[in-house]
Amino acid sequence: MSKKLIVVLSVLMIAAFVLSACAKATPAAPAAPKFKACEVTDTGGVDDKSFNATAWKGVTDAMSQLGIDGKYLESKEVADFEPNINAFVQEKCDIIITVGFLLGDATKAAAEANPGVKFSIVDYGYDPVIPNVLGQAFQTDEAAFLAGYLAAGVSKTGKVGTFGGMQIPTVTIFMDGFYKGVQYYNTQKGAKVEVLGWTPADGTGLFTNDFSDQQKGNDMATSLMDEGADIIMPVAGPVGLGAAAAVKARGNAYIIGVDSDWYLTAPDYKDITLTSVMKLMDVTTLNAIKAAMDGTFKGGTTMGTLANGGVALAPYHDLSSMVSADLSKEIDTIKAGIIDGSIKLAQ
Amino acid sequence: MAPILQLKGITKQFPGILANDHIDLTLGKGEILALLGENGAGKTTLMNILYGLYQPDEGEILVNGEKVTIHSPTDAITSGIGMVHQHFMLIPVFTVTENVMLGSEPVKAGDFLDRKKTAQKINEISKQYNLEVNPDDYVKDLPVGVQQRVEIIKLLYRNAEILIFDEPTAVLTPQEADELFNIMRELTKQGKSIIFITHKLREVLEISNRIMVIRRGKVVGEADPKTADNKKLAEMMVGREVNLVVEKDIKKPGDVVLSVEDLVVADQFKNLVIDHISLDVHAGQILGVAGVQGNGQTELVEVVTGLHKAVSGKIAFKGKDITNCSPRVITEAGTAHVPEDRQADGLVLPFTVAENLVLCSYYQEPYAHGVVLQYDKILENAEKMIKDFDIRTPSPFVSVGTLSGGNQQKVIIARELSRPIELLVASQPTRGLDVGSIEYIHKRIVQKRDEGCAVLLISPELDEIIELSDRIAVMFRGKIIATVNADEVSKETLGLLMAGIIPEKGEIASKTEKVVEATF
Amino acid sequence: MKNNKNDKQDLGKVILNEITGEDPKSPKKKKSFWKKIEIPFLAIITGLLIGGILIGATSQSVYAGFAVSIWSGFAALGKEIGTAYFSLFTGSLGNPVTIIQALQSGNATDIRFALNPLLESLVKSTPYIFAGLACALAFRAGLFNIGVEGQLFIGAAAATYVGYAIKGLPSYIHMPLAILAGAAAGALWAIVPGLLKAWTGGHEVINCIMMNYIAYRLTTYLLTGPMTRPGGGGMPLSPMIEKSAYIPQFFQSPIRFHLGFFIALAFAVLVWWILFKTTWGLNLRTVGTNPRAAKYAGLNITKTIIVGMAMSGALAGLAGANEILAVNHSMAIGLSSGYGFDSIALALLGNSHPFGVVLAALLFGVLKNGATRMMVVSSIPIDIVTIIQALILIFIAAPAIIRAIFHLRSSKEDTAIVTLSSWGGGK
Repeated sequence: MSKKLIVVLSVLMIAAFVLSACAKATPAAPAAPKFKACEVTDTGGVDDKSFNATAWKGVTDAMSQLGIDGKYLESKEVADFEPNINAFVQEKCDIIITVGFLLGDATKAAAEANPGVKFSIVDYGYDPVIPNVLGQAFQTDEAAFLAGYLAAGVSKTGKVGTFGGMQIPTVTIFMDGFYKGVQYYNTQKGAKVEVLGWTPADGTGLFTNDFSDQQKGNDMATSLMDEGADIIMPVAGPVGLGAAAAVKARGNAYIIGVDSDWYLTAPDYKDITLTSVMKLMDVTTLNAIKAAMDGTFKGGTTMGTLANGGVALAPYHDLSSMVSADLSKEIDTIKAGIIDGSIKLAQ
Repeated sequence: MAPILQLKGITKQFPGILANDHIDLTLGKGEILALLGENGAGKTTLMNILYGLYQPDEGEILVNGEKVTIHSPTDAITSGIGMVHQHFMLIPVFTVTENVMLGSEPVKAGDFLDRKKTAQKINEISKQYNLEVNPDDYVKDLPVGVQQRVEIIKLLYRNAEILIFDEPTAVLTPQEADELFNIMRELTKQGKSIIFITHKLREVLEISNRIMVIRRGKVVGEADPKTADNKKLAEMMVGREVNLVVEKDIKKPGDVVLSVEDLVVADQFKNLVIDHISLDVHAGQILGVAGVQGNGQTELVEVVTGLHKAVSGKIAFKGKDITNCSPRVITEAGTAHVPEDRQADGLVLPFTVAENLVLCSYYQEPYAHGVVLQYDKILENAEKMIKDFDIRTPSPFVSVGTLSGGNQQKVIIARELSRPIELLVASQPTRGLDVGSIEYIHKRIVQKRDEGCAVLLISPELDEIIELSDRIAVMFRGKIIATVNADEVSKETLGLLMAGIIPEKGEIASKTEKVVEATF
Repeated sequence: MKNNKNDKQDLGKVILNEITGEDPKSPKKKKSFWKKIEIPFLAIITGLLIGGILIGATSQSVYAGFAVSIWSGFAALGKEIGTAYFSLFTGSLGNPVTIIQALQSGNATDIRFALNPLLESLVKSTPYIFAGLACALAFRAGLFNIGVEGQLFIGAAAATYVGYAIKGLPSYIHMPLAILAGAAAGALWAIVPGLLKAWTGGHEVINCIMMNYIAYRLTTYLLTGPMTRPGGGGMPLSPMIEKSAYIPQFFQSPIRFHLGFFIALAFAVLVWWILFKTTWGLNLRTVGTNPRAAKYAGLNITKTIIVGMAMSGALAGLAGANEILAVNHSMAIGLSSGYGFDSIALALLGNSHPFGVVLAALLFGVLKNGATRMMVVSSIPIDIVTIIQALILIFIAAPAIIRAIFHLRSSKEDTAIVTLSSWGGGK
């Protein structure tokens, strides 16, 4: 009885192997090879609702708009980066998109070993430039500046809050811009809106040290609201959704999303999403793919700014009634000021 | 009328051993059948077949003349067969009623357990069979003898007609054993039938109607308790001539080897368990410590061997103070310890026989050079020990847990006695063993004493103490209430002393301030 | 001479006997080879089958196929599963066709590339071997070291520091020094719960978990603070270690096969030797199996527990050091995807025997490596392999399920794997 079952199973297994081997052996009709864009994620995985996902959206946009092939490989740990990139090199991908500073070393090594392959790395740049790598960096503070000004203008309590996932530059740049935007509002209007959760002067602030535990976001938002903040900008990937949940439960406060337009990507929280500080990695990724396709690809670093649309403030959607026409106009003016350089963020 | 139970040609094969070889057995109504045999003879296997824990390879079981198949203990109970296990299957934190109900809970309308009804029935049963017990007591608070009664009530509650008692007296004091025998007689008087498994000859002769002897899986004969005697039964069991009386000469004791002075010991709950005792053991002398279990003997052994710390007092070995020294220091000084619980303390069951034989000396030459174990030497030693001490094992490589109890004990005895020692502390060295093994171990202990070793022997078995000891100290509630020469004291006097009654005074010995609870 | 040859031929059998704990000299009826590997083998097969069903159930083309007809549905199912497992197989062990072609061509580079999937599987197995040994050794000492993950992080941090901070040493000193630093740091980290258990009876499981949290936060702090890469902009990333500290890779990139694998094998033999051939090992095993008997035999239980934890921690630290020195060459967060926890399962799978651990680690490495290829070829998420792994482990840990599925007779001997005496709550 049992022996028979085992034999049957074994035969099935072997048959599956042989069949698939045969399937492999018969070559598919030789169509013109499609352009292939391949993404290697960092340890967050492709559905991290953060930069891995946004970059992947850039690839899928390219797939639908340009009719190319797209693939991704998820990394579970640092040691996976190198073989994952190499797998795509062997797969003859036309451009390999790597996501995040963690892949910085591995991307550099692979790019130097394979000068014929084009790479683009999200949220990272090389100095000196590597000729076959396009870094994608973002002047996120420009958009966050607008968000800070907006928050200060909308706040009823005179207190706004922010917190980060980890104290690293790609996170604190949001918080810096936000802080400066609020200060700008204060000097312009002689107001005294306070920022809770980040003090750039001494580099102290609130950090979850975690990009996955939403409960921590919930806790952070709750304590910020306890302190009186009524606008909160969580810069912590999916942890921010926990903050949104806390705000929604409490009421009388609003969220500013980050990375993507949360009104669209987190529709559960539509009604409390004032705006979002968008870091349009999908756009820059799509642009990198386009450049690789039409032959204009060049190594270096693209800097996403308000000017080139790499970063932006999302529309206010359903909450536009909260933003007075004056405030809205002021923000447009500031935006223009940043673009033409009359307002400088760096001090 | 058909006999209530009949087994025909029961055969059970285990890998490498024929545990039951065409066993036939007949049990009449109202009969007590004693099943006698050494450990490993196949008694327990046979009973486990009857109780549904094993399936026989061959043979059939007939209850009231009808063939039955028993796949599980539930089937057994349905067929009216119940078993009182050696280790009770009771839940200590439940009451008697709850324990009895467990598995056959009567349910009132709704989903509530009907305790009242069960308690009522327990009372009826206990009245009918003279099984005194309070249904509301928690099992953990009951003495062992009463716990056993609860086990019996459990079976009667489920209408068992055939009761199997597996070594029921192993855990009982002599008095409790007598009570159990009265209960068994009462049960048979009211029509229940009993199979009584044991290897204690005295009990067999006292209680049974008929004796069946099993050896190596086969029935080797039947005997009538009225005509049989100890010696003949022992020979049937073991298959050769057995010397039941320990032969030993009177010897003049030498110097004091172990001296205990004014020792005070507390248990982990800070109860006083040894209350200012003093004793001396001389070279070439066996000092037996008699007493009902739980009167401080265990702690005495543990303190002497370094496993438990003394509160005050002094223990000296050959004049050197060893109080509260570590076990290793005490062992290396030249002492040996046969522990009370061989499986928990004396052996590492999954380890091989060879490894267990060097458990206390593997780190020394010749078994280790530096940190490297010398397995050839360890093996050499094992082979020698297996031969010298007649350890029945398929090889030195099998794990010791697969050996029978007697052979496990022989491993310990071999390990402890083969070292050059001047003091042997033996705690219940023959607990649970069969006649053949007991005889052997007694001989070895006496031999050691004859070589000039001092022996501290602890045993709740009066016969053992009397036969082996040169002097006897009786412990009661943490005190030594009498020390006597073994050849000058009667069994009756010792029995009284163990119960705390000093014959001359005819009164109970003074109590210690804190009552020492018997621990089970 | 002849004897020698026999020994070699029987090596496989000897190892198998070692792992299954069977004594070759015992006259007991020996289990047949099939009997011994039956459960693990069937567990793997069953795990793959259920994994196949999952692959099919999550595949659009299968649904599309069934919408057309049953047959095209099954064809699509077969193709999906076939492609997935074929890529799992070629991705982890190599494509037999490519290997044969490469061998025939005799081109050394081709051969290396053809064999790379297999070599990469060995690379992926290496940290599993170290971490599995750490758990197995602790199990043998009756300790549940759930802190391997934290010890791995600390070991990696120490190896990284020694790797970049010390400059100008020759490789034959620098590399062993960095490895040693990793082992020592792991050992120190593990000694803490060991001491707490020995002195206060605090349960090592709880204390190890707490030590894990401390280790995570401490390494994050180190990587963003004192150990951060100059010019790295404060990212949690250490400087690159010196070349002299590298555990050498044997071939050119992209082939990562490195000396660490053989170091891991050497440690497996060392752990086996310590456990079964030395007094230390006997101490550990006695305390682990029966602490009461250990006390009776005069062993210092406190010391043994501390030594056991330290040795286990050192192996865990080696797992971390190996990843840094041989593969990553710098430390970043996201160093481990849970080697410390996988290794518990792995140690149990290997019957807490060093050689069993090696085999189990190879299985894990193969599955993990094959998953990458499977993801590339058929876009099946890497998580499916995690599920297959989990299923295999469940089936091995609960052989009753396998026996029930395949109607096998149970044998009384295959009961519990290792006794964890410390779980009774006793000291």
